[in-house]
Amino acid sequence: MLSVTNLNTYYGESHVLRDVSVSVNKGEVVVMMGPNGHGKSTLLKSICGLVDDKKGAIIYKNQDINGLATEKIVNLGLTYIAENRELFPYMTVLENLKLGAYSKNARVHEKENLEKVFDLFPRLVDRQKQLASTMSGGEARMLAVARGLMSNADFLCIDEPSLGLQPSLRHEIFSTIKQINEQGKTVLLVEQNIPKIAELADRIYVMEEGQISFEGNKEEALSNERLKEIFLGM
Amino acid sequence: MNLTEDNILFLYEMADVIIAGLTTGSVYALMAVGMTLVYGVTKAFNFAYGDFFNMGGYFAWILIVGLGVQFGGYLTILAIVMPIMFVVGYGLEKLMVAPLRKRADWENKVMMLTLGLALFLTSLYSVVFGVRLKSLPPIVDGMVEVGQLAFTYQDIMIFVMSLGGILLFGWLLNNTRIGMAVQAVAQNPEGAKIVGIPQARIFAATFAISTVMVGFGGILLSQKWFINPMSGSTIMIKAWVVTAFGGMGSIRGGLYAAFIIGMLEAFVGWMFGMSYSIIALFILLLATLALRPQGLMGKGK
Repeated sequence: MLSVTNLNTYYGESHVLRDVSVSVNKGEVVVMMGPNGHGKSTLLKSICGLVDDKKGAIIYKNQDINGLATEKIVNLGLTYIAENRELFPYMTVLENLKLGAYSKNARVHEKENLEKVFDLFPRLVDRQKQLASTMSGGEARMLAVARGLMSNADFLCIDEPSLGLQPSLRHEIFSTIKQINEQGKTVLLVEQNIPKIAELADRIYVMEEGQISFEGNKEEALSNERLKEIFLGM
Repeated sequence: MNLTEDNILFLYEMADVIIAGLTTGSVYALMAVGMTLVYGVTKAFNFAYGDFFNMGGYFAWILIVGLGVQFGGYLTILAIVMPIMFVVGYGLEKLMVAPLRKRADWENKVMMLTLGLALFLTSLYSVVFGVRLKSLPPIVDGMVEVGQLAFTYQDIMIFVMSLGGILLFGWLLNNTRIGMAVQAVAQNPEGAKIVGIPQARIFAATFAISTVMVGFGGILLSQKWFINPMSGSTIMIKAWVVTAFGGMGSIRGGLYAAFIIGMLEAFVGWMFGMSYSIIALFILLLATLALRPQGLMGKGK
């Protein structure tokens, strides 16, 4: 469904991603792991057109989307859900959700997607009129995921959804992602939370210093000695 | 209480001053909203803003005085000039501001660009229309008398139309998809990109809407004042003082500030003469910067 080939991304002088190749099949949950600051988020942002300076092929649904503006990419059904949420602080929950359905393809499905999102996140129903800026970290994270779903995307790039959340909320967000996946959405997830990844992931990539250093299914990842050393300190 | 003739005269004069303050204040409000909008959404500062005030006036003058358009009165004029102002603003953003946006330090480059544009427009107006002042006929002639007070229909129309313009703008901002998109870009540009809002188009549309608003203000106030090719910078200063006093980026603050400043101008003009009003504005601006730099309703840093 998505295949990234030899992607190089730059922030000014610094060469962040080096010849990164990643592929995600329809219906999969693929997890991108790796130390902080090594380019995982940059990969997601590059895919979604949020970074300008990049070379390589990003093929999504048989179309090279490298160089397309984000609004065009969103309209093709590929959505980025940011680590730092990027909500509209002085708008209500409902207004945030409605703006999630801004792209042409999402507009027609706004009503049904709103119902689906409220099913997934019942807590948001009572908070429709609350300003996004007054929400707690966990709720804001849920709103960010919910807003992403409003775009009617069938491919979600989710950036560290559990970051800064307490364990019970983490659990909740992961089971929601599982549910979303079961409803037919493909997910590329950046995440550090190893035990949870084991439940979720179909395949795992590890990125170090802007390069893919490991690729395999979760059994392979869990039995890989070097990965254990890096991430679990074992 | 027995009122002497002098007392009564004084009250009438006060009423006149208040009406003048409300009338100009309402147009300032319109201009301040336009300026706040552009700054809040695009983070660009448009120094040529005041010259678009004149542009609105001159376009109306061409139609009314130059071409003798009579049919439909000012409705026809607005129906023709407002779309032109929109296209001018949109084109300016797309062709001149947007290309700069990709460069480092683009805010300063935009400032220089619009400053140059302001000088260019001022000269262009002088060459095309001459330096002699032009005037526009009132929207409606006549006046209404309440007791011994007289309100000109013109003042009432200016007040109603600029307030109507602001209310319409506010309604569109909160009740249309594009209005919400404009607010989204102002609140979180990255978030707006993520949900698929075409930022470049919103920037251009915002510029265009602000150009329409200041042009509209130009048509309204040019009936009371004259159209002067040089007045762009004065208008710009006034719009800026209103915006700074109200609090950069706060539309509500801009509205309050506009009426306060409209009143201040009217009172200073009445007590000391109109030429002192700009001095009063500068004193107000200095006081604002010294005592409350974030302005009336600004969020501060």
